[in-house]
Amino acid sequence: MDRRVTSNQKAWAFTAILRKDLRLELRTGESTITLVFLSLLVLTVLTFALDAPAGDPAIAAGALWVAMIFAGTIGATRALIAEWQNGCVRALLLSPADRAAIYCSKLVASFVFMALAEIAAMVLLVLFFNLDFGIRLVRIAPVLAMGALGFAALATLLATIQVQIRVGDLLLPLLAIPVFVPALIAGVKATNAALAGLPFSGFTQWLKILGACDILFLAGGYLLFEQVISGD
Amino acid sequence: MKALPLEARQVGKTFGLSPVLRAVSLKVDQGECAVIVGRNGSGKSTLVRILAGLSSVSAGEALLFGQPARKLQPYDRRRVGLITHQSFLYSRLTARENLEFYAELYGLDHRASRVTELLERIGLASAADERVSSFSRGMEQRLTLARATIAAPDVLLMDEPFTALDADGVEAAMGLIGGALDRGCAIVITAHEHFQFAQLTFSSYALVRGRLSPAPADSKAEAAVQHSAAAG
Repeated sequence: MDRRVTSNQKAWAFTAILRKDLRLELRTGESTITLVFLSLLVLTVLTFALDAPAGDPAIAAGALWVAMIFAGTIGATRALIAEWQNGCVRALLLSPADRAAIYCSKLVASFVFMALAEIAAMVLLVLFFNLDFGIRLVRIAPVLAMGALGFAALATLLATIQVQIRVGDLLLPLLAIPVFVPALIAGVKATNAALAGLPFSGFTQWLKILGACDILFLAGGYLLFEQVISGD
Repeated sequence: MKALPLEARQVGKTFGLSPVLRAVSLKVDQGECAVIVGRNGSGKSTLVRILAGLSSVSAGEALLFGQPARKLQPYDRRRVGLITHQSFLYSRLTARENLEFYAELYGLDHRASRVTELLERIGLASAADERVSSFSRGMEQRLTLARATIAAPDVLLMDEPFTALDADGVEAAMGLIGGALDRGCAIVITAHEHFQFAQLTFSSYALVRGRLSPAPADSKAEAAVQHSAAAG
């Protein structure tokens, strides 16, 4: 019998774990509800604290990314916590599941949670900052998607370490946010430009930086995950 | 020469300055069963974790199919089933959903029918669509037995598998174990007493102060421990 891990086997593991995580989330809604309300809180506080003029793109962009980073931090952790209950992570490590497939499934789950929170944040943003639904919001979509993907990749790796160590609650924000700063700056600048009505050509350089950061975080997570996940 | 399914060679394990296992050697071939009795804290669970590759050794080596247990390839990980004190079950999923998840994770065919058949064998057919969080300890243990055997493993490692089981549960478990032996599975069971396995043909051992030695097959843990201690 062929002993190599086939693509089919990797796909089985990926879809099994992702389907299980999404089923758990649909059943409880814990992560989604938490992240949506967190986004609401952040946007509400920033709206009234900054007393921003209606439609101010700079403030709106900043508020959106603050909400997204908070949501991503919580979302990545929640995607992993279920595995450490009842020792399920040991079952995953004992299974034929490729470690990279485990990482990718957790990454996609975090991304989905972040995406749902971002959609809620976008709706709130339109209401709080008196934005118009139009082409500007469409231009934001790829920026937010790239930002969510990069942060989910980074946060999934660091959250895996966090849930395994005693001082873990501090680890993710302490490490993830400073490392993510280049992508955060690029994302905020690109979002600001898109909300200000610039075409894609007007903020291409920020998209390139964001894309490069995504590649770095995805590659790093994919290669390092096996070293950091432990069932002990 | 074909490698043994399971072999421990002078395995030692130390936590800090405390040796838990000392020069443990064990060989289990296809279709053989080893029952290891020992007091609470004698190192039985540590030995099972080491044999499963979930914990490292301080000395010696633990081999599965001739390979170091900690570095098992995905193909061979598929061939190992494990029962520990943790259930490896997702409490917010139903019994059926848990087994279907593991069936998909292990890339099994005809998942639905296999799961249904297994639930009937362990006496959980009527509770198949109830969440594990509503299960009694005994029901959870039955489901754990089903989870560990769903992929028809070639090696079964079972740490006190009869915990919390009633007479019907023990009978169902013995059916699973007997069926596994019949198809050539190598089995290691830890327990407090040998008599529960009287229906099986097995090699009996006692784990005393971290050392493994043969013990009479009709002995309880205390008697076996005393026998092994007297034998030096």
